[in-house]
Amino acid sequence: MSSWIDYTINGIIIGNIYALLAVGLALIFGVSRLINFAHGSVYVVGAYAGFVAVTQLGTPLPLTIVIVVAVGALLGLGIERFGLRPLQGYAHIAPLLATIGLSFVLDQLVQLTFSPDPRALPSELLERRFQVGSGTIGALDILIAAVGIGSAALLYYFLRFTRLGWAIRATAQDRDAAQQMGVDVNAVNRAVFAIASALGAVSGLLVGMYYNYIDPAMSFQATLKGVVAQVVGGVGNVPGAIAGSMLLGIVESYGIALFGTSYRNLFAFILLVLVLVLRPNGLFASRRQTPPEPMTGTFIAPSKPIQISYPVLIGIAVVMALLPLVLPNPYVLQTLTNAWLYGLLGLSLTLIAGTVGLISLGHAALLAIGGYASALLSLDLGMPVGASILLAGVIAAAIGTILVFPSFRLRGHYFSIATLAIGEIVSLVILNWESVTRGPIGVAGIPPLSIFGFELDTDRSIYWFALAVLVILAALQFRLLGSHLGRTLRAMRDDDIAARSYGIGLDRYKALAFSVGSFAAGVSGGITSHLYSYINHETFNSQLSILALTIVILGGMGNVTGAILGSVLLVGLPEVFRVAAEYRVLIYGLVLLLLVRFRPQGLLGTI
Amino acid sequence: MTSAPSTAPQPAEPLLALEGINTFYGPVQVHFDLSLKVGRGHIVCLLGGNASGKSTTMKIILGLVKPASGSVHFAGQPITGLPTPQIVRRGVGSVPEARRLFGEMSVRENLLMGAFTRKDQRAVAQDLDRVLGLFPKLAERLTQRAGTLSGGEQQMVAMARALMGRPSMICMDEPTMGLSPLWVDRVLDLIATINREGVTVFMVEQNASLALEIAHHAYVLQTGRIVLDGPAATLRTDPRIRDAYLGGQDAG
Ligand SMILES: Nc1ncnc2c1ncn2[C@@H]1O[C@H](COP(=O)(O)OP(=O)(O)O)[C@@H](O)[C@H]1O
Ligand SMILES: [Mg+2]
Repeated sequence: MSSWIDYTINGIIIGNIYALLAVGLALIFGVSRLINFAHGSVYVVGAYAGFVAVTQLGTPLPLTIVIVVAVGALLGLGIERFGLRPLQGYAHIAPLLATIGLSFVLDQLVQLTFSPDPRALPSELLERRFQVGSGTIGALDILIAAVGIGSAALLYYFLRFTRLGWAIRATAQDRDAAQQMGVDVNAVNRAVFAIASALGAVSGLLVGMYYNYIDPAMSFQATLKGVVAQVVGGVGNVPGAIAGSMLLGIVESYGIALFGTSYRNLFAFILLVLVLVLRPNGLFASRRQTPPEPMTGTFIAPSKPIQISYPVLIGIAVVMALLPLVLPNPYVLQTLTNAWLYGLLGLSLTLIAGTVGLISLGHAALLAIGGYASALLSLDLGMPVGASILLAGVIAAAIGTILVFPSFRLRGHYFSIATLAIGEIVSLVILNWESVTRGPIGVAGIPPLSIFGFELDTDRSIYWFALAVLVILAALQFRLLGSHLGRTLRAMRDDDIAARSYGIGLDRYKALAFSVGSFAAGVSGGITSHLYSYINHETFNSQLSILALTIVILGGMGNVTGAILGSVLLVGLPEVFRVAAEYRVLIYGLVLLLLVRFRPQGLLGTI
Repeated sequence: MTSAPSTAPQPAEPLLALEGINTFYGPVQVHFDLSLKVGRGHIVCLLGGNASGKSTTMKIILGLVKPASGSVHFAGQPITGLPTPQIVRRGVGSVPEARRLFGEMSVRENLLMGAFTRKDQRAVAQDLDRVLGLFPKLAERLTQRAGTLSGGEQQMVAMARALMGRPSMICMDEPTMGLSPLWVDRVLDLIATINREGVTVFMVEQNASLALEIAHHAYVLQTGRIVLDGPAATLRTDPRIRDAYLGGQDAG
């Protein structure tokens, strides 16, 4: 049993690693008001650059660090060039989505180059340990602390005493005023991305050495941890980011000591949601400090949606319904069934993110809640499968809305981050609540789809069932959009200040729309669980949340037909062309990146 | 109070000229064929009620907003469409609306930020002394965070900061806004002083009677159109000034 000193030291070391990430995120947010979701990718690339240097070139540590810094800085310049600079003047959420797309691309490229399997990042420092009181401290611990403290000191000197440092601080405080002093804010952005990414890359290297383990999946977790530390410390606040990182490191380390490793992230994300909702300026913000400028989250590029008349839509639905009779190819039917199920998810998110303007980044959690609910209701309580799916939709709507409700008052990026964290919390609760969810083992033997006692055991019957559910829910959503409620929701999205002044109770409307949307996602998850017959906490992972968002943007935000089209294109086409799974994620990232830049209104236009 | 400038230089060559400017925010047009000139060495005011497009005019000059059509010339050179930092480097200083100091930085750092484009450290240090001579109050406040100063003091810092860039022209957006009457007088005095030292001033104001006391020439802007202009001495007694304002406010 390790001593508390060990846990404390471990917490501080992890805190240092988070600090290297969070400081970079804070610098970037400071000058560009962007939460850089590609930051974790920089960290992964840093780790792999170190891996190549050490194992292929046999570089000594100081040279390895120099190489990693250079690679990180270059990558940062690239992210600024493609993720931020072309999007000046776009909605604030656009660069955030672009960096999500970039991170998919970068992570997938790393995975394609080095395989998804973990690698060892050997370091001769790993084994060396020194006695400190009743605990021990390793040479690597000291190195990490030294790098952390050294970087902080360098950064302090740089920001306080150099011309560029002054320009960065001035830009962070008032971008327009800095320009009026002659500061080239684009050059400042480039410098900040290079510095932040160099720090992030070194962080990845140090983590790899510390655990002697790297894999491409570290990326998303690193981004999340950096974001948590930054939000806890106050978004854009550099000293706050360091303090937040230390706090996060220590909380996690003690949490592991008390509850075990699988709880580690749960604490981080609960801390994030609590801080966001209770102290959105962070724990250390002084009262004087003005809150970061409000960021509106709507990503509704004004456009003329392509009008498709109801007879045409009904015609398409009829053709789709007749398809199994003319083309009884099981592969095609399974692919389209899958597209219909993603279409349900798309309906859900296009209502919430498009019509209401709440960009949710954790939508897969609703699938997970629906999937587990229907699986457990039918398996453990013996409920008939059709009823369990219906009830799963209701449960997803209820739980989803309750979880998100406190975040409705958050705006723009903050709402998106809260949903991301809530999505992670749901997945971690599923992992840890073993008595109900069976924890990491997952739920096996889920009964197959049936309705009113008739088992749906052919590809054709499953296809029809999924299509029927999709058509019904899509029809209801058309009704909703055309109703007074639909118009009110769009009015809120376009101008919530005006909507508030008309006395619209925004939170209640948001909750109503969110629960309607969540129902469709819950039903989709429920059906999926019966089709798969086995699910676990990773079945509905966070990549699906981003896929859902890409589907919705591709179709046109708020556009019901667009959501279904987007799903057919993004889920169906790669299947038809038999694109290997790892290239699919790459394609999703690229599609998201290109859409945000070149066609934010999507294929069919926003509504 | 400052006496009215009696020895206004005769029609000088314009240092700044805006020609046929049309500006839009999305679908909304803010400027309609706006033209104005600022003579070298003059104080020129742009007067107008709320939302008439005054601040946007200043942003056009500084390159923070790009006009849909029209041209801006400074010192004989076209500067339309240039990025803000380059316009600033050509000698346009600014005192933005609501001061826009770097609140977390010290007064000293704010002043030195004003000299950001300059490389001559010796001359900058001399200018700092000179500016502090002009604004003696600030000398006591050099290490204080700018955000903690009073409104009047912040206005001084903003003006001093603009001077640190050694501009040939300073654009000021409502420099007297939100100040107590005592501070308003002081600020107007300082603007006149700065001008006597050779700096051209383009000033946006709502408070016509005060601004006309120190200005050489004035333009009146009403919902994006110049409706009146002339030497300040003439406009001071012109009843249309009042009417323009009342009209503007009725419309709003
Ligand atoms: N960034 C902006 N986006 C959209 N409209 C703006 C923006 N800035 C100003 N406006 C509008 O343009 C008009 C003129 O604004 P402004 O130039 O600030 O007027 P003034 O300084 O005379 O009060 C106002 O109606 C204002 O609401
Ligand atoms: Mg104004």
